[in-house]
Amino acid sequence: MKAAAYALGAALVAVGLGGLLAHAADTRPLGWLAWFAGVVIAHDFVLVPAVLALAALLTRAPARYRTPARAAAVIGGILALVSLPLVLGFGRSSANPSQLPLPYGRNLLIVLSVIAIAGGAVIGRRAWSARARRTAGDTDRDERPS
Amino acid sequence: MVRRVELIGRSFSSRLHDERVSAWLGIWLGASFAAAFVTGLISHFMQHPAGWLVWPSRPVNLYRVTQGVHVIGGLATVPLLLAKLWVAYPKLWQWPPLRSLGHAIERGFVALLVAGSLFELVTGVLNIDYWYPFPFNFPAAHYWTAYIVTGALIIHIVNQASAVRRSVGRAPAGATGDAGGGLTRRGLFAVVAGASGAVAAVTVGETVSPLAGLAVLAPRRPGVGPQHLPVNKTATAARVTRTALDPGWRLAVAGGSIRGLSLSLADLRGMPRHEVRLPISCVEGWSAEATWAGVRVRDVLEMAGADPHARITVESLEPGGRYRTSPLDWPHWHDPRTLLAIELGGAPLALDHGYPCRLIAPDRPGAMQTKWLARLTIT
Repeated sequence: MKAAAYALGAALVAVGLGGLLAHAADTRPLGWLAWFAGVVIAHDFVLVPAVLALAALLTRAPARYRTPARAAAVIGGILALVSLPLVLGFGRSSANPSQLPLPYGRNLLIVLSVIAIAGGAVIGRRAWSARARRTAGDTDRDERPS
Repeated sequence: MVRRVELIGRSFSSRLHDERVSAWLGIWLGASFAAAFVTGLISHFMQHPAGWLVWPSRPVNLYRVTQGVHVIGGLATVPLLLAKLWVAYPKLWQWPPLRSLGHAIERGFVALLVAGSLFELVTGVLNIDYWYPFPFNFPAAHYWTAYIVTGALIIHIVNQASAVRRSVGRAPAGATGDAGGGLTRRGLFAVVAGASGAVAAVTVGETVSPLAGLAVLAPRRPGVGPQHLPVNKTATAARVTRTALDPGWRLAVAGGSIRGLSLSLADLRGMPRHEVRLPISCVEGWSAEATWAGVRVRDVLEMAGADPHARITVESLEPGGRYRTSPLDWPHWHDPRTLLAIELGGAPLALDHGYPCRLIAPDRPGAMQTKWLARLTIT
């Protein structure tokens, strides 16, 4: 069973590599290899270190605000990353205005603002309830018989 | 299997870099990739049908759905993959990097899996956004790389199966509450789900038209384009402007042992007119419905005396290009909704939509809804 699965997996990898080489005019194996390795290098040595650095910055926030701040940063960051090609707009064509028809930079800013406001609202609520708890705690202490 | 992770690896102290989180993300990611592989194969074999393969013409929206799942699902997979790689990142720095031949082979397949997964998502996103900074033809590279990813994924699943069973079956070991102000495991899953949901929410309207207004970060908007329909290839790009506007245009029907036909636009207008509501379902994941009118392909081919099981080749006026012709199998040309369309939304086709005459059929990739028709060849 396990051997059969290994064989199937290895066979599929071989089919893929074989297909890439057999259709070299379309797949340009050397250019393919540069991208295949390049995306890993970009992820492991650029994107992750950048996220680690940002995450380190966020740890300076008080502990109870960190989770909403991280959630908003991660969701907003991924949306920005995925829509970056739209915002840069290299795919726009003056001959075909139905291709990339929207103002993506503005739209991304609006979406990021909504996420920031949502994250800010959670942080605000936590700050508010923390203050309320502190105040209630003070009152309790005041009411305690001395 | 407990890995010794030293040096840099050891400094990743977050409880998120653990087996249980990795297992759950892996299960979801595996399901996403399986769905992408299957829908991708459907798309590939619809566009390049093998001789033994005849696709049905119904359900009308089959390709619209499978390709929507492929593209919108693929976009929603981006946060999952990034989270999975984030959780597994310390293993990149495990020490010693290679313990044995078996370990070296295992890591080799993981490298193929990671590189292939990133490659598929990056090229897929760039392609739907019409940005081609790479030297290869996108469909060919994306297609063959999918086999590498799927093969490496199967091997990875076999290697991790016991670890997944061990960690998914039991209750979490550590606290799931406050993780020192950081994300808890449940928090991480919620953030990943939120990010996937957000990416899907701002794009899915490019194919699910009631949500079009939400699709603020999608490369297409149904309803935007000439005659309120997006265009992929313009007449200028296809180099048909002169031939398509030629008043002497004729549609030739020829091949096999049939009576050849040569139909002018006036001839087509004189034949029984049928109206259908069908979508253009693009391989890039967007789709948009429109009301088309014209002559049934079935009526024309029966008039020509074509064999009922004949495969038809639909040819465009385009002088070249990958989609100059498309095959039309018998389930499609017999379908009463398959038209030689000459009207869109009650008006003659816009030049960019294939004037004077285009093919429109149910359950068919947009690139094969051949525009600027010149000829139907019976083979």
